[in-house]
Amino acid sequence: MLRPSSTPQAAVENLGDKIRLQAWGNAYASLDNKAQFTESDFEHDLTGYHLSLRTYATLESFEVRPLHASNNEAEVQLRIHWSSVVGPFTDTRNLRVVRNGDRWNVDWPLVKRSVVPPQVIAVNYLRWDVIYRGSGDDWGVQDVEAPHVRIVDMHPVQRAEGVVVLGELLNEDVVPAYVSVRATLQSKNGSPIASEGSFDRISHILLPKQVTPFLINFPDANLSDVGSIRMEPMSSLVSASADPVIEIENQQLNPAPGASVTGQLVNQSGQVVNIAHVLETLYDKTGQVVWVADQYTDRALLPQTPVPFDIHIPEDLARKVSSERTIASTYSVGGFQ
Amino acid sequence: MGHRNIFQVIQMGLDSESVSSVGCGCESARPLRVGQPPRAMLNPSVLRENPEPIERDNVERTESVAASSRPIPLSFILMAALAVHLPLMLIRLPLNSYDANFHIFFASHYVHHWFNPWNTKWYAGFSQTTYPPLPQQWVALISHITGLDMAYMAVQLAAILLLVVGVYRFSLLWVSPRAASLAALASVFLGSESFLVYSAGQLATTSAAPIYLNALPYMFEWVRHGKWRSFLKASVLFTAAAAAHHATLLFGSFFFAVPILALVMLDRQDGERTPVPAFLLRTVAIAVVVGVAIAVVLLPFWIALIHYPVTQAPIPHPSRANYILSPAWGLNYFVVPYGALILALPFIVLRGSTVVRLRPLLLGFWVAFLIGLGGTTPVGHLLLGRAFEVLTMERFSYWATLLALPIVGLLAAELIERFRMRAIIGLTLAAAFTCAFAVAWVTIRPAGGEDVKVASVAAWLNRDGHDNYRYVTLGFGNKISRLAVLTDAGSVDGEWNSGRRLPELTRNGAGSLTSSKYFGQAGLDALRAILRHADGYGLKWVFVRDPYYDPLLQFAGWRQVDELENQTITVWGKDGVPPAMPVNAPQIPPHWQGILWGTLPFGSSILAILVVLIPAKRRRGDEGESSSDRQENLVRGELVS
Repeated sequence: MLRPSSTPQAAVENLGDKIRLQAWGNAYASLDNKAQFTESDFEHDLTGYHLSLRTYATLESFEVRPLHASNNEAEVQLRIHWSSVVGPFTDTRNLRVVRNGDRWNVDWPLVKRSVVPPQVIAVNYLRWDVIYRGSGDDWGVQDVEAPHVRIVDMHPVQRAEGVVVLGELLNEDVVPAYVSVRATLQSKNGSPIASEGSFDRISHILLPKQVTPFLINFPDANLSDVGSIRMEPMSSLVSASADPVIEIENQQLNPAPGASVTGQLVNQSGQVVNIAHVLETLYDKTGQVVWVADQYTDRALLPQTPVPFDIHIPEDLARKVSSERTIASTYSVGGFQ
Repeated sequence: MGHRNIFQVIQMGLDSESVSSVGCGCESARPLRVGQPPRAMLNPSVLRENPEPIERDNVERTESVAASSRPIPLSFILMAALAVHLPLMLIRLPLNSYDANFHIFFASHYVHHWFNPWNTKWYAGFSQTTYPPLPQQWVALISHITGLDMAYMAVQLAAILLLVVGVYRFSLLWVSPRAASLAALASVFLGSESFLVYSAGQLATTSAAPIYLNALPYMFEWVRHGKWRSFLKASVLFTAAAAAHHATLLFGSFFFAVPILALVMLDRQDGERTPVPAFLLRTVAIAVVVGVAIAVVLLPFWIALIHYPVTQAPIPHPSRANYILSPAWGLNYFVVPYGALILALPFIVLRGSTVVRLRPLLLGFWVAFLIGLGGTTPVGHLLLGRAFEVLTMERFSYWATLLALPIVGLLAAELIERFRMRAIIGLTLAAAFTCAFAVAWVTIRPAGGEDVKVASVAAWLNRDGHDNYRYVTLGFGNKISRLAVLTDAGSVDGEWNSGRRLPELTRNGAGSLTSSKYFGQAGLDALRAILRHADGYGLKWVFVRDPYYDPLLQFAGWRQVDELENQTITVWGKDGVPPAMPVNAPQIPPHWQGILWGTLPFGSSILAILVVLIPAKRRRGDEGESSSDRQENLVRGELVS
């Protein structure tokens, strides 16, 4: 139930509740700076101006943390935890809250809509089509030779949550490949302990000569019990294109504490990319893979419009990291890349 | 077979007509002013302690005056039930309900595997011994003649008719035959019954309750008079009710049986006395015998429950919401089931509390009523504990309305007595509105969302060896049961949450995968977990009716392979998945359990039908006592108006 907005914290909590209920009109009406933008702008700031991860995300919970306050003004941090189909993400906003008589109202820091100027973008990219025999020829049931792929690096790591198998996979062929990797932990006597796949910690479409990192989790497994690991890379021939090209700009490795890799994704194509998945491969001085981190962008990538990313690196691994490599796979509505 | 029983009940009603006329006529000859304290209210025991002999003159004098106080013939009420519900069954309206296809799916398994309760079509295999089988087995049996859908309708209609008889017989324990007949007529239009039949599709609950209600008068007669035939009938009916729905029996014991026992205690000094030791002995005897019978008949169920208790994370359900803070759910779970009964609530409470004999009934009603309010009050949580997070609350409202019906019958009788045609018109309108609203509710607010056509999906799965792999649907709502009936392929999803054992599903606190997004992070975590282990389960196909899920499938390595239903359903496949293998789960019931499961529950219902047909032996003095009882009921019923 909503409380009277008699304190800065209560005002922000009420706003959070209204956002949770998707009562956009009520939430907008409670803002102090609503004259600066429309209700539609406010709603789209939270749900995305274009179809994106935010559009279908639901507010799971939120936290309110007072930063500082005076008699007439306060700063409160609102951390909104959204759940989305590819996983949770958090939206953090530092809100200025101002006093109006007995009530406090939130000054909403609107992230304005990116406007792409009218322009012509020349698109010149490679594309591979596969001709099937007919509608009855199910994808994956092929009588052609699978593209040649090779695991170029692999090693297990013991983490608190279990064993993690890291590595990289190379498409050695001249055609694109759909790839996945499966690993089976075997005990010292050769019996299988557990078998898991790479799921979404891999880029499943590899163009010729492209490399993807992979990370496979074995929750609750113990590395000391493992005698060997059987790796099963799988590939099949698929149609693919190099479009959209996503450029990584201003990439930066930030040291501990709070180690992270930051940068910007720039969509070089002329079409909107609705969701991008950034895969970060972290290497040590010897060039061995130390960790694979990832992040989904919660905002759509408009043509030529940078979208920032900030990928957290586990603190205990941060010191080992000396270099990194970033790739991005994309999802666009109506297209299957 | 049941006709004879019904005939007996009708006969009982007819027998009591003259008596009813006496009581009602005597009192109606003395008009009361509103607010005037009635004699029986001041000292209700006066009549009981000093039963005045009914004089022949009075009978003759009052019969003509009280023509309208005769009970409505049960045959007429049954015809009314047929008139209201038969057309709805013939157009198969219950198929739109939330759980109808779930029961049909279970029944379809019994059609093919009567003695093997291990069903491989859901959750990569689960045991149907986790759910009492009686109504579903009847559907399976009848389906050999009518097909599954109409068999479901037949069983559901039989349950509705049985409810009429059950409510009448149960009400006779509390109120006059006239009020009891009106209560039975009200059960035809009961909002909660229509809600469960046409919106919720709770076949098990709506089948078990009438059997249970029919068992209670026999229990009363056993505990009160020690009739062995009643003991036998009560025992087999209770057992059959448990075979239909265990929860009804479990909670019914508190809401229905305890008030009946209290009634025996209240009546024990009237007519034939019931000594307290006899009361205790008989109560314990029937509890033990019924307990043992249920333990045997549902033995595989108990074994499954003991070995694999329901420890999974609680799944949110809107019936547990606070209906004041969530008015939409309040409408769904309170206004629709109760309908015009809401207007009668003050009378139910007032009459139930002022008439001593009705107090146990009121108490049962009140507790069921409060629990049925879900999270609106803390009562459900306090009384049920963890079960509150497992059960859905609409069944408690259903039971509450059944418990209220005798008093509602009383109200109707008094209103008709007082206002005649105006009351009849008003009550008819109220009943019609309540029933119509509850029946229409499934159309106003469809249980399964949009109409999902699954025939094309089933056809796709059944061809070209696609059913060698398992599948999951996304955005299909409760149509996954219908799909499971139509296809030979197995799924890792399902709608019977208590029967699932896959750890990916049990530890996340979400319901069906097909509706993952509605369970927030928990639902999406469950979906991701199951997709992550697709290879292990032979899960190759995902049918998507909601593009919300497309990004996950694409990033997780699934690719669209086909489109169905004018591109409204997309088929996604994963390469490299091995064919589905039978799961060698410890939950697979051994063969002997399958034999028990296929014989005892169904056999209990056959036995119940046969035993109920044993004619009642009339005791000397029965006539006199029951006459005075009913007269007393009627007198009380009329005085407080």
